[in-house]
Amino acid sequence: MHIASGFLSPPVWGTMAAVSGAALAGSLAAARRQLDDRKVPLMGVMGAFVFAAQMVNFPILSGFLAGLPIGTSGHLGGGFLLGVLLGPALGIVAMASVLVIQALVFQDGGVEALGANIFTMGVFPCILGGVVRGLWRKPSWLSYTVTFAGAAIGVLAGATLVILLLDWSVMLPQSVSLLQALGVMDSVHLFIGLVEGAITVAVVRFVLGARREVVFGTTQLVSAGEVKA
Amino acid sequence: MSPYNRNTLLVGILVVVVIGGVLSYFASGDPDGLEKTQEILGAAEPVHTGVEPPPSVFEGYSLKCLGEGFWGNAVAGVVGSLFVLGGLLVVARILKRRPSRQDPEKV
Repeated sequence: MHIASGFLSPPVWGTMAAVSGAALAGSLAAARRQLDDRKVPLMGVMGAFVFAAQMVNFPILSGFLAGLPIGTSGHLGGGFLLGVLLGPALGIVAMASVLVIQALVFQDGGVEALGANIFTMGVFPCILGGVVRGLWRKPSWLSYTVTFAGAAIGVLAGATLVILLLDWSVMLPQSVSLLQALGVMDSVHLFIGLVEGAITVAVVRFVLGARREVVFGTTQLVSAGEVKA
Repeated sequence: MSPYNRNTLLVGILVVVVIGGVLSYFASGDPDGLEKTQEILGAAEPVHTGVEPPPSVFEGYSLKCLGEGFWGNAVAGVVGSLFVLGGLLVVARILKRRPSRQDPEKV
């Protein structure tokens, strides 16, 4: 879902750079307060995991009905996952690091589009993940269902936003209405979102099993004596 | 470093090396959701003046001198992941260099 160079008009990428820049500055300030000795390695490792996982494109709809999008692939976004496990602030810092390195070292995503890409794959899904994490205390089938749905919705919302940004940049062809463009983009990303949800639930389960006391939102419960550190 | 943090890092690096270094080799080469959408809509050509990413030996997630094969991909995946990990550890170190004034525990 990385927007490449040359697809956004200057007012659009400028606006998104300002929005994401402000969000990143706020996140860095909050991260300074939130980071403790045990959260630092988890943040680093989860950021590296998202980078590695984004390299694994899974096939979507290959060989599906003619006329419908076939031969497409998708990969984990990971913003929602980091929002759940690290919280919005640390999640946004980690996602921004992933996207900056992808753009500058791996030529994935335009440099001027970094603000937009950090927003659609970082700021928005990270905040959504943090909000969803706040809905439950103890992991249950219900919390995992909500996590699955949240991750999928995060992908769809990000995809919708990308089309809106392209529309604002007058990059959608005249022959296509905004609704049609959204229809194509969201139907492809619905499938990607389902995989995103499945991977997110699996990783959240794993990290809760291994490092529950460091996961976002658990720290307060630890000091309240509700969860053993 | 505490054994707790050392284990977090070791397990994390192991997982990342397997995913970025090995599993990613088997990734689908089909266009991603956005590229496919742009292809279907007929909007695949950039028209605005952009800032192209700087030239890199890791273009296309493969170390140039090793080619597009398994090892070029493996080095790119592992190095990229470790860049992110190292970058975040450096950012955390800088952020925590001076205790925050708003942090009651550190005042």
